[in-house]
Amino acid sequence: MRTINFANRNFKETIRDPLSIIFSILLPLFLLFIFQQFKIPNEVYKLENFTPGIVIFSFSFITLFTAALVAKDRTTSFLIRLGTSPMKSMEYILGYTLSVLPLIVIQNMLFFTVAIILGLNFSINVILTMLVSIPISILFIMIGILIGSVTTEKGSSGLSSVIVQLVAFTSGMYFSAAMVGNFFQIICDILPFQSCVNITKGILNGNYQNMLNSSITVIIYIIIVSIITIIVFKKKMTSDNK
Amino acid sequence: MIAIETTDLIKKFKNKVVVDSLNFKINKGELFSLLGVNGAGKTTIIKMISTLILPTSGKIVIDGKDSLKDQMSIKEIINISPQETSVALNLTVMENLKFMAGVYQIKNSKEKIYEIIKLFNLEEVLNQKTKTLSGGWQRKLSIALALINDPKILFLDEPTLGLDVIARKELWQVINELKGKITIILTTHYMEEAENLSDRVGIMAKGQLIEVGTPEELIKRSGAKTFEDAFVSFATGGVK
Repeated sequence: MRTINFANRNFKETIRDPLSIIFSILLPLFLLFIFQQFKIPNEVYKLENFTPGIVIFSFSFITLFTAALVAKDRTTSFLIRLGTSPMKSMEYILGYTLSVLPLIVIQNMLFFTVAIILGLNFSINVILTMLVSIPISILFIMIGILIGSVTTEKGSSGLSSVIVQLVAFTSGMYFSAAMVGNFFQIICDILPFQSCVNITKGILNGNYQNMLNSSITVIIYIIIVSIITIIVFKKKMTSDNK
Repeated sequence: MIAIETTDLIKKFKNKVVVDSLNFKINKGELFSLLGVNGAGKTTIIKMISTLILPTSGKIVIDGKDSLKDQMSIKEIINISPQETSVALNLTVMENLKFMAGVYQIKNSKEKIYEIIKLFNLEEVLNQKTKTLSGGWQRKLSIALALINDPKILFLDEPTLGLDVIARKELWQVINELKGKITIILTTHYMEEAENLSDRVGIMAKGQLIEVGTPEELIKRSGAKTFEDAFVSFATGGVK
């Protein structure tokens, strides 16, 4: 119950910041719409390929807002107040995580609705892609909590912007990594963002080839980042109070 | 009846001793002020007693419970109004109260919230987002939130810092109403505040509690004319 209570507060804090709505929903929606108007003759920009990219790209803004909220809570001593309460570290982390999930569902529904209006064929794969994107979003939320745990509110924006850029350039949503060269391809393979797009793109198109490698990569990242986040957050809860 | 007792309490950050062999007792219902210059160790003591940080060595007993062994049950009976107001800024006053009631899983939360609204006269700002409140209202709310779980022990860390005279006096009135009902540990840099509100005052310097007594006792012991002079005298080592 404490987790839900905390998640409810976090959700209200986030959605009452108009910038979070502009960046996490309106900007990706605008990109989805505008790139379809350009009629770019490249497979990447076909709706069935670009929409999953937009979904993952929008998650990078979830990282940004989660990081800002955690950093703000720390720097305004909000977590000092809660630190004397019976709340446990896991309740904080779950509370931050759960609070963002409604936003993720809203994002997904809006993106796919607009994509269908623009010409994407509706099928069960649309629903499956939306469902699979939820566990993928955990990675972005955890990165956000991690960044917010180690930075100030201003610092969190800077560091989160790096994630936004990395998602844009290494996920393959705007261009195929193979176009840029081997070294860049290796970076894209190491980072999880291309794998995230591969999974959502694969499910939307019913193409499950090469899905295993991407899934393993994302699962490993989710586990490792979550463990690091829990350790760092717990440690910072104590060290912030020194 | 003893509310808080510390025995040989030490806190070190790396090799720096911040709190040094602290022994003191605070009685139930007492308002005990901790005074000291910046860096004297006041906030560190509050953080140790309020379970935010662990002592390097020594013992803290709160309401008969060991702070290391019974941390969770201690958390149920204490609360804090930190130095910064630390309220949820995008939430309204009412939402902040409901949120804190949820944190402590208050059973009769509606009645408790209503009681706090009355005590702090929060009616006029109830539906206002806290970020739009004045400093005085934010401080009031901060203390109000700290009372949501009916704490036996309340920590007020510089509760009137940065407030104008009127807002400060209003908060003094609230704190005075709480006196005797709750054990309060207050830190402040305002001598007038400590003198007016405290049952007893502890003066800290370099991590040690160098004097404890009522404001009158401290004035008498120092030979000074005012409480402020008495504090300066003790804090600077002018009185042996």
